[in-house]
Amino acid sequence: MIRFISLYYRSIGSCLSISFLLFFNSNCFSQKIVSTQKTNEEIFLARIKQFNEFLDRFNYKTDFNGNQVDSVFKRKMPRGKFLNSIFDLKDKRILSGVDSYSKSYIDLKSAFIDEVLAGGRKINKYSPNIIAEARSRIVYKNAPQTISIFLSQEIIGENKVKWVILDVKGDIMNFLKADTAYVRFIPPTSNETDFINLKRALEDSDHLQYYASRDFRFDPVSVFFYCINSKLIRFEYVEQVIYHILDIPGWCIKVRDFNRNELNSGWLISDVGKNSLDRISYLKTLK
Amino acid sequence: MFNKILLLIITLLLSLLASGQTKTAVTSKQAKITDEINLSPSDIELFKEQTKQKIEELQQYIVTLGNKDEPAEKRNMAEKEALKLFYTGAQMEISTIMPDGSIQKINRPMEKYLARLKSLPFTRVVIKFYDIAYISEFTKGPDGKYYSTATIIQEFTGFSNDDIVYKDVTKKDVEIIIDLVEDKFFNEKRWKIFLGDIKATETKPGIL
Repeated sequence: MIRFISLYYRSIGSCLSISFLLFFNSNCFSQKIVSTQKTNEEIFLARIKQFNEFLDRFNYKTDFNGNQVDSVFKRKMPRGKFLNSIFDLKDKRILSGVDSYSKSYIDLKSAFIDEVLAGGRKINKYSPNIIAEARSRIVYKNAPQTISIFLSQEIIGENKVKWVILDVKGDIMNFLKADTAYVRFIPPTSNETDFINLKRALEDSDHLQYYASRDFRFDPVSVFFYCINSKLIRFEYVEQVIYHILDIPGWCIKVRDFNRNELNSGWLISDVGKNSLDRISYLKTLK
Repeated sequence: MFNKILLLIITLLLSLLASGQTKTAVTSKQAKITDEINLSPSDIELFKEQTKQKIEELQQYIVTLGNKDEPAEKRNMAEKEALKLFYTGAQMEISTIMPDGSIQKINRPMEKYLARLKSLPFTRVVIKFYDIAYISEFTKGPDGKYYSTATIIQEFTGFSNDDIVYKDVTKKDVEIIIDLVEDKFFNEKRWKIFLGDIKATETKPGIL
């Protein structure tokens, strides 16, 4: 019985490999989704189930079945085609005949794949240049809101790893407004009047940064921690995770979970773009 | 004489445990420096195999828990045994696709989740797991424990008499933790696998 089951699953695996080769081979060239009826088992085996699995496929370490990539697989599925299969193949920018079709995006995608192939590029699993954006639901003043918490991995000692909070972004963090119409300051002789002006300055609550020293840098993480600590914000749950990967020099790719009942599903590349910024400067460009 | 025999038995048991795919810290003093003890790649491979077994155990308990044809005693026992697999405080987070396409998440302590499985409002429940378990590499945390994630797929069908009234397919990402636990009998610490939080994602809206 066990042998029968094992043979059954082996046959599913083989069929799946063939389905995949056919599916992705056709996709590589036409960039079209072929609608095929697959069993749930086949689809879930093919699905990139974890971000970790995505990295293994990107790095050409494991095949569709999770087995180590060997010479036979390499012959059937060169890395370029395999890389193409971990992109979102339903991206409207790559589907011809659709308004949002973008030749420039297709060229960019091809250039990225070419560069990864030429340089034999791989993503380091514990790279500090992997930034996870946790889009999270919070409750602020009794109203639900969404904020983004950016996290990265930190290596402690030789081999211990943890995720740490790098940045927090969201409407509630944008309470300071820029204003160039007025010159805001605490006058030079305020000290002689025991800083009576301080009250006026601190009532100007939208522009407090102008009363701070030139070294002042707004620190959203500290603000977030204070809001949590003082119960101004209640954290509910993470709605969605998007990875921003800056580990391939000159590039940024975004990876997210495509929850759909198709072979091309799970953790896939949703966007690729040129990037020359380090991770902190990159984070500053995000809204 | 008795002491010598006892010592021999303990030594034999210790060597059996050591060869039984666990890594032991011989003294509790050593165990306190958990973070300095590393599992070798071969140990980790063995723990990966054990993880598969733990996951299969969990799946079997869930199937028994949901099966209303099983005697209450057996289902209660399955609930109790399933809980033993988990780390204290483990939670189940269930995300549901709402009719408008938005996602809603609910968190439940594992005890409550398992108890609810026993009392679902269906006359018959069939829970099937696909033979797909993806287990990621173990990574050491700052606390010295090793962490991994296993992904399993569950197909749930709820019947009212002979009619299917609910069906869904969920992906479950299960946190796996290898921790050093104290074995009071032998006054030593042993590596043991626990299941942690589970994220359950509905892969498509419930049919019917």
